[in-house]
Amino acid sequence: MPKCKKSEGQAIDYAYKLLPSAEELPFKEHLKSCKDCTEAVESYTAALELTDEAQEELVVPEHALRDIEMNVYKRLAASQEQTTWLSRLSAYFTSVGSPFGWYKTAAVSSVAIALIVAAVLISKPPQPEQTLQVTEMQSAEARIEAYREQGIQWNLEEALITHHLRNDAWETESQLNRMKEQAQGTSWTKVADKQLQNLQSGILNRTQQNRIGEN
Amino acid sequence: MDKLIDDEMLVAQFQAGRQNAFDELMKRYKSKIFSYLLRSVRNYEDAEDITIEVFFKAYRALENWQPKAKFSTWLYKIASNLAIDYHRAKARNPVYALDDAEIPEKHLVATDMHSDPVKQLEEKERGLIIREAVDQLSPKQKAVFMLSRYEGLQLKEVAETLDMAEGTVKIHLHRAVKRLQTLLRPLWENNDI
Repeated sequence: MPKCKKSEGQAIDYAYKLLPSAEELPFKEHLKSCKDCTEAVESYTAALELTDEAQEELVVPEHALRDIEMNVYKRLAASQEQTTWLSRLSAYFTSVGSPFGWYKTAAVSSVAIALIVAAVLISKPPQPEQTLQVTEMQSAEARIEAYREQGIQWNLEEALITHHLRNDAWETESQLNRMKEQAQGTSWTKVADKQLQNLQSGILNRTQQNRIGEN
Repeated sequence: MDKLIDDEMLVAQFQAGRQNAFDELMKRYKSKIFSYLLRSVRNYEDAEDITIEVFFKAYRALENWQPKAKFSTWLYKIASNLAIDYHRAKARNPVYALDDAEIPEKHLVATDMHSDPVKQLEEKERGLIIREAVDQLSPKQKAVFMLSRYEGLQLKEVAETLDMAEGTVKIHLHRAVKRLQTLLRPLWENNDI
């Protein structure tokens, strides 16, 4: 039996719902009498439905998204330091390079690199220039701190949920210890200590009450 | 921040020095970009790293960005390019082999204790076969398919995102669908679905 001469692309577009409305109705009519195209549309549709179903199963858990902002700013802060160094080097080479030919520039550059490497080895790196990039870097650092604080608060909330809703003292304690570790150098360590104390006294009271009950 | 403020307005605010505008843009798109990359690279940690790289690159380039296309299209463009680079690197170096078991799945997250474990295993296996079929598409076919099918981009937007003519996008899309049909045909022919 000869294959239908209708474009295969039309069957794909129809299954993919891409067919322009002007072509859709005539193609639907054609499907009523064409076995080849009907089979093609059915198999393309089945393949697409299968892939849709498999892709829907992929989920990004909410907790995975929490640290994205902080990590972006960390990445920015790290790159700013590199950029400042590179821009200083580049500016230096540009300034010494212009009056000479390329070979002299290369020679001067080599000497300059050797001097810079030596300077880095024997002295402190120079402070970054006060440019717009530095302002951005400071801003990135401030944001890292803000996101860290947000992360600490989330961990505290999680610990409290574990304590009050799941009544899991052991998990709460380890969550609070993690939070305390994360909060090193901030006032949040005091909050963690207080919560750990409350947790310990709660466990102690419960143990005492159980003993009284047993007696 | 007002949700009614459109992306391009937030970009303008960022360009005027308002850092919070970039935070809002990240908040709006981090989930979409992460999901897109997870579908594309199928490795949780790599998807996270590339998502961070997307916003890092966006931040660095946003100062001089001109609204020739939608901000979201531009962001997907960065993500797509990074995903294509990732797949090329993976093809060159098989050390980057993907482990599907790392991907969180709905049915694994919400495991029903009373459901049939054999059926669960079969479903997981079927999901794996299907995703592997998608992986067999070329990087460009995959990018076109993912962007148009799962990110809801119009073909014109896909073309802008991937720097292709709309006709080329359609050719890649047709090839992708035909390839998927060929690869997945055994699943319904053997009554496995």
